[in-house]
Amino acid sequence: MIRSENLHFSYLHTDEGLPPQPALAGINLSVGKGDFVVIAGRNGSGKSTLARHINALLSPSEGTLWVNGIDTKDETQLWEIRKTAGMVFQNPDNQIVAATIEEDVAFGPENLGVPSEEIRTRVDSALAAVKMSEYANAAPHHLSGGQKQRAAIASVLAMRPSVIVFDESTSMLDPQGRREVLETIDGLRRTGITIILITHSMEEAALADRLIVMDRGKIVLEDTPRAVFRQANALTKLGLAVPQAAALAQALRERGVPVSDGILSAEDLLADEAVQKAALKYASANHPVPKVTAPLPSQPHPLLEIRNLTHIYNAGAAYEKKAVDGISLTIGKGETVGIIGHTGSGKSTLIQHFNALLTPTSGQVLIDGEDIHADKKKLKTLRQRVGMLFQYPEHQLFESDVYRDVAFGPTRMGLSDEEIKTRVVKALTIVGLGEDVYNKSPFALSGGQKRRAAIAGVLAMQPEILVLDEPAAGLDPQGREGTFSQITKMREELGLTVIIISHNMDDIARLCGRVIAVSQGKIIADGTPAEVFSQNRILEESGLDIPQVTRVMARLAESNPAIPTGIFTVEDAANVLSGGGEGPL
Amino acid sequence: MTRLTIGQYYPADSPLHRLDPRVKLLAAIAYITVLIFVTNFYGFGIAVLFLAVVIRASRVPARFIFRGLRAILFILSFAALINLLLTPGENVLFSYAFIQVTTEGIHRAALMALRLVLLITGSSLLTLTTSPIQLTDGIESLLKPLRLPAHDIAMMMTIALRMIPTLSEELGKIMKAQKARGVDLETGGPLKRIKNIIPILVPLFVSSFKRADELATAMEARCYRGGKGRTKLKPLGFTGRDALAGGIIVVFCVGLVLTRFI
Repeated sequence: MIRSENLHFSYLHTDEGLPPQPALAGINLSVGKGDFVVIAGRNGSGKSTLARHINALLSPSEGTLWVNGIDTKDETQLWEIRKTAGMVFQNPDNQIVAATIEEDVAFGPENLGVPSEEIRTRVDSALAAVKMSEYANAAPHHLSGGQKQRAAIASVLAMRPSVIVFDESTSMLDPQGRREVLETIDGLRRTGITIILITHSMEEAALADRLIVMDRGKIVLEDTPRAVFRQANALTKLGLAVPQAAALAQALRERGVPVSDGILSAEDLLADEAVQKAALKYASANHPVPKVTAPLPSQPHPLLEIRNLTHIYNAGAAYEKKAVDGISLTIGKGETVGIIGHTGSGKSTLIQHFNALLTPTSGQVLIDGEDIHADKKKLKTLRQRVGMLFQYPEHQLFESDVYRDVAFGPTRMGLSDEEIKTRVVKALTIVGLGEDVYNKSPFALSGGQKRRAAIAGVLAMQPEILVLDEPAAGLDPQGREGTFSQITKMREELGLTVIIISHNMDDIARLCGRVIAVSQGKIIADGTPAEVFSQNRILEESGLDIPQVTRVMARLAESNPAIPTGIFTVEDAANVLSGGGEGPL
Repeated sequence: MTRLTIGQYYPADSPLHRLDPRVKLLAAIAYITVLIFVTNFYGFGIAVLFLAVVIRASRVPARFIFRGLRAILFILSFAALINLLLTPGENVLFSYAFIQVTTEGIHRAALMALRLVLLITGSSLLTLTTSPIQLTDGIESLLKPLRLPAHDIAMMMTIALRMIPTLSEELGKIMKAQKARGVDLETGGPLKRIKNIIPILVPLFVSSFKRADELATAMEARCYRGGKGRTKLKPLGFTGRDALAGGIIVVFCVGLVLTRFI
């Protein structure tokens, strides 16, 4: 279906006269009809560049790529190629053209000059295939991310392609949306469509028939996902992370538990005989039935206090919506708190009260015992004590150079020039940006650098509490690691109280000493990660993901109640199952 | 921004909704033009009656139709007041300094207010019963004979309609982020306020350009190459019903102009 020989490509424009870096350096690819191939790799590995060649959006500088036997360099066949190989992009908002879903699905066939009656049947069947028929007349901005992305898939399907390339199409979605899109992809592959999925999520890679790992414009690993995951160390070096389940299998093998080769998911682990045996062995070893112990240490100094907070959007109107419903909580100085909850649970509304971006419908917000809404004049100073970083904070950069952008907040605070300078330099140093970027335009930085500059912009205001909403969204595993180690550094060096919102339970479990789960505007769980994750039933019922390891241990505990359930690290789980350890409790 | 009602469409299945958008567009233009020529209450009487029948046929609830009027309430009352107080005439009913209320004034003010109400109600009926896409299709088809780049104009309108809600959402997010960094949007003189807009506008422009670029790529990937050889999911079709509606409009307009001579 798709074949390439010695494919090379270089982007023409590069930074300040550096020699052009080849984005693709000799790719030999072969994808058969009906294959499901995942192409993975860190940011900048060339995987998206390769994807764009398959749709003839880019043309090779050297070498050849054939789609269904057609050379993509043949410009007379351009439309035939794009019809054959459809493409779904990353940002759902930036690929929907029309103001209603139905019209958008019709856009492709309209361009191809398909007769009206046939467009109608194509639109209807494409929408049915992605289960979006009832939204045919909906406006895109009324849909969730997952629904928008499914509509985008329907729009490609209506062109009747043989291949669909997904260019990081799940990376901007919440877990629910991601599941929806992956289910849709699974449905498509059953109909015989060839699927190429670009991703850096190894959980998604596990679904493929074949996994191709790219680095520096080359294919470095290519095999079944099972075989590739065996090379955990090689993957880490390539800036990718093995799924938790695979990592646990590896750790157990190292500890002498004969877990079978090629574990991809939690389900694989649970079906494995050696794992079941290990669980039984642990249970029969007369370990006491675990109590969830180790409560949170008492908070010596409450810094942020929320009292009976309720927020109602459009209060009084017929369509009013209660987003936060009587939440009370106290966060102590120096804590690292993770707030989890599915989209629409009210967690975003909740955090926007922390620095008075929203005013409570009823209830109070206190910082250091002072009601922030009590005195309007004090609001500005109190607001400065809580730094807020929204999702994709790099979108707030605007100054002509990085230094000025970081200095923006402190300047607003009316500080002296020297003080501003000290703060800016300190903030930039903590996020790991050196003097070489001070005078660069923030828009000339790489994606990861932009994010760090934006974080520095808030750090320079020297808040006591830092609220981060999905700080690692859209970053590859290496970028994630970098961001997290910086957060740890900030906490340790600046004594910051950190509040993190994330859909990624592994990240939350690793970073936070305390987890608060929010659902339907209420707190449903609050405690140490072990405590909260041991209530896995409650969490799953409210649509939350839990770490893969936690899920495995919870399932094992159903038949062997002695097994502790609040486990969330590979290390702890491996200790329990290899029979030796007591677990974390 | 969410209260933006321009081009608001009320989906329903009515004879008016089913009409060819070209007929509705031309009818709206004719209606607006003819209203200018109406000078007496006979004409307005006919117009009000006609509009009432059309509104009934559109199956759009009255409150949606009159919502558009709220926006112009101020202009409406102001204009009526000026006419009422400053029209010179023979039959003075009340006068104080340069203000005088005359029968002519009352007459003019009432006509003026009526005309404005009829104008707004009539034209909002067009957008309420015609989906944005039908409207752009209609405009495209009407512009074609004028040797204008009709397809491109229509495509631009479609994309604008698609992107306005997305960008307004984005604007809200950027405003919140910058507010958290100390931008004060509520206080200060005009100069300071303009300066405060920069941290909002620059990111909005940057992101709009990025969106435009990505959208263009996505359109290309779906074989977009301008209006040439394009077909339509819902092609415009001129039916007997449209001809009938056109006929009614012509009769109505001629009749309305003739009321001048009563």
